Amino acid sequence: MNYTLQYGQVLPYLGYFAGGALLSLQIAFLSFCGGLVIGTGFASVTAFGPRPLRVLVKVYVTAFTNTPQLVQIYFLYFALPDAGILLSSYQAVLIGMTLNAGAYLTEIQRAGFLSRRQTEMEAAEVLGFSRWQQIRYVILPHIAKVLFPPLANQYILMTLGTSMAAVFGVEELTGRAFNVNAETFRSVEIFSLVAVFYVVITFAATLALALIGRLAFRARMRIL
Amino acid sequence: MPQLAIDNLSATYGKLAVLKSVSLAVEKGEIIGLIGPSGSGKSTLLRVLVGLLKPTAGTIAIDGRPVDFGKAAEVRAVRDRLAIVFQQFNLFQNMTVLENVTIAPVKIKKRAKGEVREEAKELLRKVGLGEKLNAYPDELSGGQQQRVAIARALALKPEILLLDEVTASLDPELVSEVLDTIRLLAAEGMTMLIVSHEMGFVRELSSRVVFMADGRIVETGTPGEVFETPQETRTREFVSKILRH
Ligand SMILES: Nc1ncnc2c1ncn2[C@@H]1O[C@H](COP(=O)(O)OP(=O)(O)O)[C@@H](O)[C@H]1O
Ligand SMILES: [Mg+2]
Repeated sequence: MNYTLQYGQVLPYLGYFAGGALLSLQIAFLSFCGGLVIGTGFASVTAFGPRPLRVLVKVYVTAFTNTPQLVQIYFLYFALPDAGILLSSYQAVLIGMTLNAGAYLTEIQRAGFLSRRQTEMEAAEVLGFSRWQQIRYVILPHIAKVLFPPLANQYILMTLGTSMAAVFGVEELTGRAFNVNAETFRSVEIFSLVAVFYVVITFAATLALALIGRLAFRARMRIL
Repeated sequence: MPQLAIDNLSATYGKLAVLKSVSLAVEKGEIIGLIGPSGSGKSTLLRVLVGLLKPTAGTIAIDGRPVDFGKAAEVRAVRDRLAIVFQQFNLFQNMTVLENVTIAPVKIKKRAKGEVREEAKELLRKVGLGEKLNAYPDELSGGQQQRVAIARALALKPEILLLDEVTASLDPELVSEVLDTIRLLAAEGMTMLIVSHEMGFVRELSSRVVFMADGRIVETGTPGEVFETPQETRTREFVSKILRH
């Protein structure tokens, strides 16, 4: 090994990487929120909806959880233009990740929606709670508490998954690492630095989510 | 007039007849010890009384007024006057001890929060949990949870308290603290229906013991009569078996 690490050469790019990290966070956040909307709706359908709709949701979930996300985004990016729908690489990534997240979040939430506590509901009923009050005071808090940790976990996974966007030329953290690498060829320095950035943004998110979970839902979550 | 009059009450789970023409009159302040083998319908009787299961025949009258379990308003009125505590406490896991006790009076009865909280604290002190107001159920022992459940039931100021094997899932060393709480209520003159396998306790506290088997009331009498000189073969078998243990 006669390779000497020269972090000095990549330090000027710190701000550039930070900007990329922000874009990564933005992609993760937007696609997670979109996925959460889809997941909540579809999980309600699978838990409580009529059979034909349940089957449709099942097809969607199976398709998206059994194919690579990269392939899904490729499909959106290269196949949709044939159908006259032209997406920018950023749009394709965002839509692809949202649809992918929607499928996983449907699965995660379906189980939570079904984990009602019959006995607690009976206790509420005999205390005089109406059906709506049972949902409001017993079922929803319970579901929120059960679902918070796996949802937070999914969010962290998605933050890391955003690096896929680089493949399509989106200049998020990994994309910017590609760019700087092409200029400086300092691969080891660049990618170790970028790894640190990912650690920082995921760890910060983990801490924040654990704190929220702890305070709002008394959900116990492992941080490390 | 009995405070609670159960007359020829029948109930089924699907096709299974679980209560078969049960009749029982309970006077105000009476403590009824309800005993019988597992599966005899004791829990079902209590569940029908609080409107969790609709009877298929017979009537339940409170202070002489028959209840129509088909009408939501009447079921609600019953639940105002009868409270039930289950074997499995069933506390709201997402609420503190104090919130468990105050939520129904505040949200359902729309009573003033401050006043309800003071009453709830008093109740919790009474059941020995004055120090645990802000604990969550999963931070409490089974015996403590059960006493919270009793306080929660009492917070609505019921006239009749139904207790369904409230010590059955507790570790032996925790049973007595719950029984002490019930003794306290008995001393205050609360009408109670107590389903229990703690025969010593049933004997000590009950003004009348009711023996059920196979969905029917087989025998009713004072604790002395039922435990010392049972009239029916089934009662005799049950009593001798359970007292031997
Ligand atoms: N939710 C239920 N669905 C169907 N059958 C039930 C249900 N609960 C109780 N049973 C049946 O009803 C009978 C009486 O049960 P239960 O009232 O719980 O008896 P006990 O409380 O005296 O042990 C039993 O045969 C039991 O299997
Ligand atoms: Mg029972």
